Amino acid sequence: MSAGRRILITGIASHWGTELARRLERDPRVEQVIGIDTRAPDADLERTELIEVDIRSPVLARLLPATEPDTVVHCGIVWYPEPDKPARALHDINVIGTLQLLAACERTPGLKSVVVRGSAAIYGCEGASPSFYTEEMARTVALRTRFQRDIGELEGYFENFARRHPQLICCMLRYQPEIGPGLSTPLARYLSLPVVPTQMGFDPRLQFVHSEDATGALLKATMDPVRGAVNVAPSGSISLSRAIRLIGRVELPLPHPLFGPMLARVGGGLGIGTLQGDAVRLLRFGRGVDNRRLREELGYEPRFDAVGAIRDLAAHSRGRRVASVPGVGSVLEKIGGSGVSR
Amino acid sequence: MSGPPLSTPEIGAEFLRMMRDGVERGLDPLAAAEAAAMTLPQSLRSSVERMGRRLRGEYHEDEWGFDEEFAEAAYPFFEFLYDRWWRVEATGVDHVPAHGRAMLVSNHAGALFPFDASMITGAIMKRHPLPRWPRFMVLDLAFVLPYVSAFMRKVGGVPASPHNATRILNQDGLMMVFPEGVKGTGKPFGERYRLQRFGRGGFVEIALRTGSPIVPVAVVGSEEIYPMLGNSEVLARAIGAPFVPLTPTFPWLGPLGLIPLPSKWRIEFCEPIDVREFGPDAADDRRVVFEISERVRETIQGKLYENLVKRGSSFF
Repeated sequence: MSAGRRILITGIASHWGTELARRLERDPRVEQVIGIDTRAPDADLERTELIEVDIRSPVLARLLPATEPDTVVHCGIVWYPEPDKPARALHDINVIGTLQLLAACERTPGLKSVVVRGSAAIYGCEGASPSFYTEEMARTVALRTRFQRDIGELEGYFENFARRHPQLICCMLRYQPEIGPGLSTPLARYLSLPVVPTQMGFDPRLQFVHSEDATGALLKATMDPVRGAVNVAPSGSISLSRAIRLIGRVELPLPHPLFGPMLARVGGGLGIGTLQGDAVRLLRFGRGVDNRRLREELGYEPRFDAVGAIRDLAAHSRGRRVASVPGVGSVLEKIGGSGVSR
Repeated sequence: MSGPPLSTPEIGAEFLRMMRDGVERGLDPLAAAEAAAMTLPQSLRSSVERMGRRLRGEYHEDEWGFDEEFAEAAYPFFEFLYDRWWRVEATGVDHVPAHGRAMLVSNHAGALFPFDASMITGAIMKRHPLPRWPRFMVLDLAFVLPYVSAFMRKVGGVPASPHNATRILNQDGLMMVFPEGVKGTGKPFGERYRLQRFGRGGFVEIALRTGSPIVPVAVVGSEEIYPMLGNSEVLARAIGAPFVPLTPTFPWLGPLGLIPLPSKWRIEFCEPIDVREFGPDAADDRRVVFEISERVRETIQGKLYENLVKRGSSFF
């Protein structure tokens, strides 16, 4: 057995980066975890060396080789605007940031693998798209939103990079949106609104990755990466209407042309202000991806399927529900079942 | 409680009376309703229970979004169309394999709403000794329309993509395809029952790759439900549809024009064509693909003419 692994994580302050670092710190095979971001993570990390640097800055090209990583995990892709990362900075962070990072990787001699935590947004979001995208089906539809195009662009750079450096194992993880107890993304906050606005007449098929599986798959890819793209998604799918019912919320159907503008206007007050573009299309047409490669080639078996992830979220959100839905469903069920039980 | 069956208003009155008694005895309304529910017939009680369970999200959907309970709930409407409206006569249903993968290939017609997929499904569900729900390919346009998209998905429709067909067949499903596609539904009334080009034979490639038998299906009657006398290209361009049919009733009678004409239908399932002898690699052999495609097409065309003669008058 060689010396311990040296793993560098970008976007360490993000939920994904922090969770991965926490798991890596407990792994005896890992000698050193190095985290870079523009700010320190909220949680305490014990044996992670933190470096405050913006991945868009050229300084990275000198800093990165000095840390001598054997693996670089790019968790710095931002899906939703955040207080310190406004919408107009997203393109710079996601595309230019990735480019700078790849340039820095080129100058790092001991590097063996690069793992990027990307997005299934590369498959776009169309009404009539195949029900389960496999990895080779990227770019079969036009990318329509800013985020989809950014992901498409950075995947292009990453593929190029992988071609030019065949000695490196380059792994692109295409994540479906993540949910989990305690995880606060705009989509998770949307699903936990007491009354959930939906687009009238549309009931998309969705896949949410449970946060435990999201971190599990990332850890697996960090320790034993495979070449090429891997979809990270649960098995199966769930319709939005069923997910809302399982979480115990009520649907509020709005005409679909009003859905996006309405969320943009009142979303800020509801705490989901950044749910735009890609997410609006996702909540109209849905998206399903195939996870065979994740299970069989990367060797990670998700603990939760699409329904299980929602059920787990429901089990944990039940306690803190403010205005409990009267539970029309359970009343009807009780009435209907009364003859059976007696 | 048993006795002579009560009429609906009597059931309602009995329920309310029992509930009032319960409340007067000091039960809370929910408990009173629960007790009073004993008077309701079993079928009503179980549908109330199912409604409640569905409202809590406790029902099954498969990975394609097919919702069997929903399909069963929508079934009586299609059963009415099948039995009364179109008086469908189905023959050869036994040719559909009871289990394992199989591809149903049919002619496609019905300009406004092609009902052929639902009637083929009806024939299998009513006449087959071991019925199972087939999945069918749906035109892309339907999947961007509100309500239509959600409905199609829940009753077993999937977006028309070779990837979807391959996956369903590899899961040993029953896949229904219409190789004519829009060319079939959008042809003028004068060309009824004349099969259009079968695309590039993509369905044969999929059958070869997945080793699925092909069951040709001939549907007679679907062409008369919306006789397409003309096509409004202006409207079609405006709404982005491949065509907008003008029938004797649509759009002249408004929503009434959407009611399909009560033609007489016949559906014949033909003997399955086993393509496994060619092996999966034959999918790249254009000659084999076209040969099989042509064979399927000729089988359906022949059976169409045969059944047209057997049917006699179009409407009676």
